[in-house]
Amino acid sequence: MNVVITPVMIGQVIISGILVGTLYSMVALGLALIFGVMRVINVAHGPLLMLGAYATYFLYSAFGLNPYLTVPITMLLLFVVGVVLQRTLVFRVVGAPELASLLLTFGISIALVNLAQLAFTSDLRAVEYLTGSYIVGPFAFSKSRLIAFVFAAAVSGLAFLFLQRTKLGKAIRATSQSREVAMVCGIDVDRIHLFTFGLATALAAAGGALIAVIVAIQPEMGGVWTFKSFLVIVLGGAGNYPGALLGGMLLGLVEQLASLFLTTQLSEVVAYLLLVLVLLVRPTGLFGGRQT
Amino acid sequence: MTRAFLGALGVALAALALYPFFGTGYGVRATLQIFMWIALAGSWNLISGLTGYVSFGHVAFFGAGAYAGAILVAKVGWSWPAASLVGGVAACVLALVIGYPCLRLKGPYFAIAMLGLNEVLRALVSYFEGLTGGGSGLSLPTLDATIPIYYVMGVLAAAVTLLTYLIITSRFGLRLMTIREDEVAAEALGIDTARHKLYAFLLSAAGPGIAGALTARDQGYIEPISVFPLAMTITMIVMVLFGGKGTVWGPVLGAVVLFVSQEFVWARFPYLHQLLFGAIIVAVVLLMPRGVLGILQMKYRLPRTI
Repeated sequence: MNVVITPVMIGQVIISGILVGTLYSMVALGLALIFGVMRVINVAHGPLLMLGAYATYFLYSAFGLNPYLTVPITMLLLFVVGVVLQRTLVFRVVGAPELASLLLTFGISIALVNLAQLAFTSDLRAVEYLTGSYIVGPFAFSKSRLIAFVFAAAVSGLAFLFLQRTKLGKAIRATSQSREVAMVCGIDVDRIHLFTFGLATALAAAGGALIAVIVAIQPEMGGVWTFKSFLVIVLGGAGNYPGALLGGMLLGLVEQLASLFLTTQLSEVVAYLLLVLVLLVRPTGLFGGRQT
Repeated sequence: MTRAFLGALGVALAALALYPFFGTGYGVRATLQIFMWIALAGSWNLISGLTGYVSFGHVAFFGAGAYAGAILVAKVGWSWPAASLVGGVAACVLALVIGYPCLRLKGPYFAIAMLGLNEVLRALVSYFEGLTGGGSGLSLPTLDATIPIYYVMGVLAAAVTLLTYLIITSRFGLRLMTIREDEVAAEALGIDTARHKLYAFLLSAAGPGIAGALTARDQGYIEPISVFPLAMTITMIVMVLFGGKGTVWGPVLGAVVLFVSQEFVWARFPYLHQLLFGAIIVAVVLLMPRGVLGILQMKYRLPRTI
């Protein structure tokens, strides 16, 4: 394979990397929140994203809603699903060894995928709403990816502002810094856990809703997203929320750059090698984080 | 007690050795599968049950062994027993390469790194199509070797269990368990923790590697999805948890009980199988984190080396 790489190709790759990276950032922020606040590795994050994608698909195909208008509705629906999961199952493994939370969320994950297969069948489904690209000079922007980028940037920005500025957001950050001290300060830690899991699930759902417009969806689509979100939070540093946002960008860029030289299958390998390398050199992530 | 136990064990082993002469084809195949699960669960127990490092991608060694063995049989023309041994060696080499850096990671980071390893191996074998057949899989020459493989897999399962017994009753095992309880304290006691974790990891990779190569030969066909499924890692973990992690007989008990009940579920509820499996996982994690033997040990003061 001997391809000449022009500056235009590099520019295109950087643009695509930023577009997809923002989506990674938003989804991974959810996983980072759950891990940061509860020390739970949520393997069911990707399958919850899948449920979000299906919610948007059905709101679009059954009620004819504009798929972008469904994003808040989908987020709200999955917020409720997240709260229910936390209230019934996940709260039992908060503070338990990581094996318990890994297995419990894996159990939830395969149950969700199986339920989706029974309810929606394994057929590929697509929200055919926006196709084609905008052409600006030598660069092409896929319309659906560009709008997904705008939405993801807005949602992550809002989530970030929420964490920084509001009282509830501060309580969440306080709980993730130290559960005991947060309790002493009068924060209802169990309620924070409920809200955090709901919020994180809503972030995954927003990702699912936007992805449904970009590619065809099916019940097993979530696994890849769980894996990529892991990569992002390790790159960014677990428990470091701005780090998760930067880590998403970095993963998007690395994947796209790798796809210039290698096939897409191998770009996953490159991302993994990057992960192992980062873990070796800076076990707390590129942008700092906390050791467990 | 001990004498009665050893007697029962001898009878059970003799019955299993004679089973292919009078058992049905299905029975032999199912028992072969149970042997495989005992070997896999027992191997996972060696690293994760004893040192507490959760290998969340242990099936990677199974898949690596399966591909190494299958390539040697299909492309180079080796006989399957030799290829199986090389499958074990290949898994150990992989464990050395990946364990050296990754065993320094703590807690959840090690689990994530191992999960990633499995995904990456699957991507790699799909990519190198010339050698592995890529996504369309790799077919081995036809050969009916179920009965010899039954015996080899049985010996493997027994060997892994015996190895677990030898480790748990040795100073090496005590050091591993010290690492599990408190790694900093273990280091303060002068235990070379990095070296001990790596040894345990290597020992835990050999069994799955050999089992992978044997399974590849027995099934005659492998593809990336069939030998690197995350669900297989989870199954071995749940088997160990159900039986009791860090014990000698826990993985055996878990493998037998869960495999038999899974066959029962498979046959009756093909559509709900995954859902029920998910429910079993959740139930084991929430209701019996110490496992059957762990509970018995607590209640009846059974020896640690059960």
